Amino acid sequence: MIEKPYHVPLRLGLLSAAAAEPFLTEDLLKGVAGHAGVDLDKVVDRLPEDDPRWEVEPLRDLIEDAKHAFEDNRTQADAWLAPRLHAALRLTRREAADRRLWTHLALAVAPDYVAWRHRSRTTSKIGPERFRGAPDRQCFSRLWWAAEMFRDGADYTPVVTACGNQDLIHSALRRELIDHRPIAQALVQVMERGVAVTGREIEGLMTAVSAAGATLVYDALAPDVPRDPGVVRTWIEEAAHVSVPRRVLPDGPDEEPVPKKSVSDLTDFFADLFETAPVRGRAVKE
Amino acid sequence: MKFYPYKRLNRPIALRVTSASLKLPDNTRDLLDTSAWSVPQRTVALGVAQHDDWTSARIGLSATLPPGAVADDAPWTGLKVLVTLADGETNVRTSVELRQDAPGSKEWSGFVEVNRDDHVGRAFLSAQAVATVDDVAGRSVAETDEDWTVDVTADEPLGGLRLDVKQVGFAKSSREWLHAYADAPWIVDASGRVPAVLVNTDVEGFADLLDAESGGMENKVHELLVTQMSTDVWTAVFHSAVGDLETESDGTPVFPTDWRGEVLREMLPDVAPGVHVEEALRRVHRRRTGDAGWVELQTRIHYAAVRRAGVSRALSQALRALQQSNRGDHA
Repeated sequence: MIEKPYHVPLRLGLLSAAAAEPFLTEDLLKGVAGHAGVDLDKVVDRLPEDDPRWEVEPLRDLIEDAKHAFEDNRTQADAWLAPRLHAALRLTRREAADRRLWTHLALAVAPDYVAWRHRSRTTSKIGPERFRGAPDRQCFSRLWWAAEMFRDGADYTPVVTACGNQDLIHSALRRELIDHRPIAQALVQVMERGVAVTGREIEGLMTAVSAAGATLVYDALAPDVPRDPGVVRTWIEEAAHVSVPRRVLPDGPDEEPVPKKSVSDLTDFFADLFETAPVRGRAVKE
Repeated sequence: MKFYPYKRLNRPIALRVTSASLKLPDNTRDLLDTSAWSVPQRTVALGVAQHDDWTSARIGLSATLPPGAVADDAPWTGLKVLVTLADGETNVRTSVELRQDAPGSKEWSGFVEVNRDDHVGRAFLSAQAVATVDDVAGRSVAETDEDWTVDVTADEPLGGLRLDVKQVGFAKSSREWLHAYADAPWIVDASGRVPAVLVNTDVEGFADLLDAESGGMENKVHELLVTQMSTDVWTAVFHSAVGDLETESDGTPVFPTDWRGEVLREMLPDVAPGVHVEEALRRVHRRRTGDAGWVELQTRIHYAAVRRAGVSRALSQALRALQQSNRGDHA
């Protein structure tokens, strides 16, 4: 199994997929052997020196703690790590959309975590997309984005629920539906109420919600409040002074929560929709 | 054609950008002139004023509803017009309501705020008219048929595929991964956020030739090279786009939301002619992931790339210039 790299960079950088390709060797993707960190370091584009956000140590500590705490159940690490990674690595969405940052984190800083979390039990392989793939597949960016999309203002509790169900984050993150915050919150509520829980049920619900969206405008049916960009800015500036708590949930950026009425209206609507939604393996109710 | 189980309007909403201003770090506003947006390209370029440090932009909009929307006997109540700003790269989706210019008017107007921190490249604006129809609230009764593009970095309101062209000496570049390509005059990197062409300045005279605007033979060779590069780019981006498709649970491929989607929509009509783009994407995806047909498709992909790059025109011009110059030599 891949161990922590011998050479861990001190600061996060940007690693393009083309530059990363030679390091995604057969051995690495089998989880057999890591890479020589020193060579990898030569192909990394640097980030500004004076920004404390790019220090690797706090992230590396967090990742070690996740590995240690969830040794026996690695999928559960997602719900623990997602909010904490989001609070430790404070980014604007513009910055988080840069895949090179995530590729660097996965390949240079924590390849051992990627291998531990994503090596398939059946094929003993790690998908290359876990290192340098689409935002909803890559090991760390999927967690960061799950936290960003499912948090309710400063409250990360819905993130924990969402990430506790692999099927939900898998099918939600690749759809644009959850870009509307009330939809994301309502999906979590539907799951908490026990309406749709299994993978097939969630997939069926999502398809039904998308289909209904062809004639219904969710933005009008369940409006959101405008976001204040200053709040995230301030939160990012505080990054240097905080350490992320391990036992309790951290606080996210103090944005206006999603309007309660919008969430409860949509939750009721989704629950009704699910009653008649076609779900594989479920008999259609008359 | 879509079928709707309720009454709605057949014609689209016409959406126009009427103003754009940038908010600067000192809280002042810079009102951009009309060159910042293009109506035929349906694009707003927020980089026109060369401010790198703007924090947000306010885009003024006006929408004209199709006839019948505000008629007294319209089959709906509580009509609203919503403009949505969406960015698939950063998962941003914000909606604002427009205000009716006067009671009973078809004209509605308002503005949308674009936060700089929320976007990398392009975001899209669309409008929808929403009303309560047959006691069902929130129904869409009309929408725009084509989005407006808001490009946060572009300094010209141009549509189409955006390329990043960089000149570097491959052999001594600080990007060590380029060393492996030291003997190539150029390479295409389609793995990044926007596709990039890296031109190798180590090939002597190559950079000069590419910068040549002198006319004559150099110019023709220059054009030929550029179209050759463009062909490579189009081929590479098509493969990159089609190789990275997300699928629905039933296996239907989904159009990507970034430039990959633009590339596919642009090229698919030439790759799989005669069918709707959605169907074309399904066919191409089936061929790539299935057992047969992918190899045969390469010719069509190459053809689509060549057409886009304008190779035939550049080639015939270069050939003509060559003939003329040969005649000159013999004279």
